[in-house]
Parts: sequence; structure tokens; C-alpha cells
Amino acid sequence: MTSRHLSDDRLIELCMLEAPSMAEQQHLGSCCQCDARRARLLALLDDVSDVAAAQADAAFPPERLARQQARILSHLQHDGRPARVITFPAAHAYEPIASRRRPGTRWIAAAAVAGLVIGLVAGRFGHDYSLGRPGPVRAIVARAAGAPEFRAAGSSGTIREASTDLSDEEFLSEIEIALDSPTAAALQPLDDLTPLPWEVR
Amino acid sequence: MPLSRDSQLAAEIKALVAGGERDAARDRYSDLVARQQRRAVRIAYQYLRDAHDADEAVQDAFVKVFTHITSYREDLPFEVWFTRILVNACLDLRKSRARRLRWAVPMSSATDTTPTDPPTRDQSPEQRLVSTERAKEIATAVESLPGRQRTVFTLCHVAEQTTAEVSQALGLSEATVRVHLFRAVRKLRRLLERE
Ligand SMILES: [Zn+2]
Repeated sequence: MTSRHLSDDRLIELCMLEAPSMAEQQHLGSCCQCDARRARLLALLDDVSDVAAAQADAAFPPERLARQQARILSHLQHDGRPARVITFPAAHAYEPIASRRRPGTRWIAAAAVAGLVIGLVAGRFGHDYSLGRPGPVRAIVARAAGAPEFRAAGSSGTIREASTDLSDEEFLSEIEIALDSPTAAALQPLDDLTPLPWEVR
Repeated sequence: MPLSRDSQLAAEIKALVAGGERDAARDRYSDLVARQQRRAVRIAYQYLRDAHDADEAVQDAFVKVFTHITSYREDLPFEVWFTRILVNACLDLRKSRARRLRWAVPMSSATDTTPTDPPTRDQSPEQRLVSTERAKEIATAVESLPGRQRTVFTLCHVAEQTTAEVSQALGLSEATVRVHLFRAVRKLRRLLERE
């Protein structure tokens, strides 16, 4: 039998990658020290994977996974068809991703736009700030006030008539499709210039 | 070597797309998504440490997989091909997050790690586990691993892939994968092992 103790690296290999040889098996059977070291490492690795799995599972309960699956499939459903998106000014396509995932409903979006416009109008009367693009903003107010469904095609810029029976899920996924439009892809060169965290370490 | 169930499914979907049966392909794809989803979010969450970003990366990866399914080669296990696409999606997310943070007002933390409140009866078993002191120690230790070590460790240990599969998924040599794996485990032992 092997009389030498197993090295730390060999223990890692035995715990993660391969089975012990016959001689190592015998050594582990007769050397309490190595056997205890192996048991400790195995327990540690189990703890780490249990915690990793629990963290992800706590963040992604079954309902969230179901929502995610629905979004993926809904995204694929629109694949190859022109996307219908809301008539926000183009700059909104560059909103941070974090803000895209918030649950919401169409009336919240409409109320937010209305609030923004009221703020802009009030701001404009209070101070002489040049906000630019007053046209599209007014257009949104008119459409938002007149009809809850206000959206247009993303990149082509043509206005489309929208159906009134879209679910919130479909509505959200349409916004996502808009954010993935060629306009958003124009940011890619800037993205490529940004080093990864591990590259700057 | 026989194809895994997921590789067979992917091959079927590829054939359906190639035959112009997109609706049927999408239908089959929902099964494949369901089978891979849990594993995918575990990998992405471990890597990005942010539920929103992990969600986004996983969705991106699944959409890309379907969009490029005709380039799937059946001689590669689907899990390996998918993992590669998922890791790339995570990298893209990290890049865009770095860009976002560069323009944003500095915050104490960019992550939305799981809450660390004391356990209550309303919590799920997962939430109770992650709120223990030991779990916090472990999470901090894993988080302290450099990016590549954490990725390799996650794929080998959490996603239970072999070093050969991880080497294919990451485009690194198997020897490099082993080096990163050993460094990761040595560091975790140093930080976490108790006598
Ligand atoms: Zn020994």
C-alpha cells in the first residue's frame, strides 16, 4: 500500500475529478488522517454547491422560471416579424437593462408618460429649459389620452394599429424586442471598448 | 457515444427548423428550455450575482440558441454548446453592467444578493439556508474568487460538467481549466475549512 500521505492537490482531484487508484483506496482505508482530510473537503464542496444552488433557487422560484420561459417563447414567436413598440422618443431605447424587468402594466406606463409630460410642461413654464423634441412628446400625450394602445414599429418608424387584447406579458416582451432593435445594436462598438472586470484586474 | 436526451431534442428541433416547421420547432423548444432552465439560472446567477442580470443572460442565451439552432452540431453534447452560449451571454451582461455603472451614480453594491434577514416561517427552505451565517461565509468566499476561477468552479462543481466539457464550453485547454479549478478549491479551503 502507499505509505505516503496524499497531497492536497491529489485530494482535490479525488474529490472532484477522478476515483482513487487501488493503492490510494487502501491508504485511505488505513490512514485516518487522509481519510478525515478527504471527508472534510467533500463536506466543504457539498456545502458550497448546496449554497450556490439555494441562492439561485431562492432568486428564481418556480413562478419566476415560468415567467422567464414565457418571455423566451414569446420572444421567439415574434422572431422574423416586425416588432410593434410604443412611440417613446428614440433615446428611451437606451434605458438601463435593470429598468426593463420591472413588472408593470400598460396603465402604469401610460401614467408614467403622462406624469413625465406634465413635469416637462410645468418645467418649461417655470424655467426656460430647452428640452428638445417637443413634437414626439406631444404626440405621445395625444395618443395616450385618446387610446391606451400607443405604439409604433421600432426601427422602421411607421405607426401601426395595435390590437387591444395584448396581455401585460406580451406588452413587456414587445418592449424587450424594441430594446433589441438595430438602434440598440448601435451601442455595440462602445460595448466592445469596455474592458471586462477581470481584464482590468 | 449515445446522444443525451437534450442533444436528441436539439437535433429534432434543428430538423424541424430546417424543414420550415418553425411552430412545431418552437413547441419542442419549450421542453428543452424547461429541461435546461434551472441549471442555466444557477450558472448565470453564480456568475453574475444579480438576479435581473442572470434572468436577462439566460433569456438571451435561450433566444440565441433557437435562432442559431441550425448551426448546432450533433457531435457536441447540447449542454456544452448551450453552456458556451450562456457564458458568452453572461460576459456580455457583465460588460453592459460595467458600462451602466460607469455612467450611474455610485452605489454601495451593484448586486441584489439574497436578503440576509433572520429566518422566518414564511421563507422557503432555500431562503432559510442562504440566510445562515455559514452560507454567508461561503457566498462571500465564492464571490472573492477571480472571474475565471469562479466560472470554472461553477461549471465543474455546480453544473457538474467534466473538465473536458468545461474546456470545450469555454474554449480553454483542459490543463488551464484544471489550473483554475485547483486554484479555486485551494482558495475556498483556505477561507472556509475548519479544523
Ligand atoms: Zn495518509
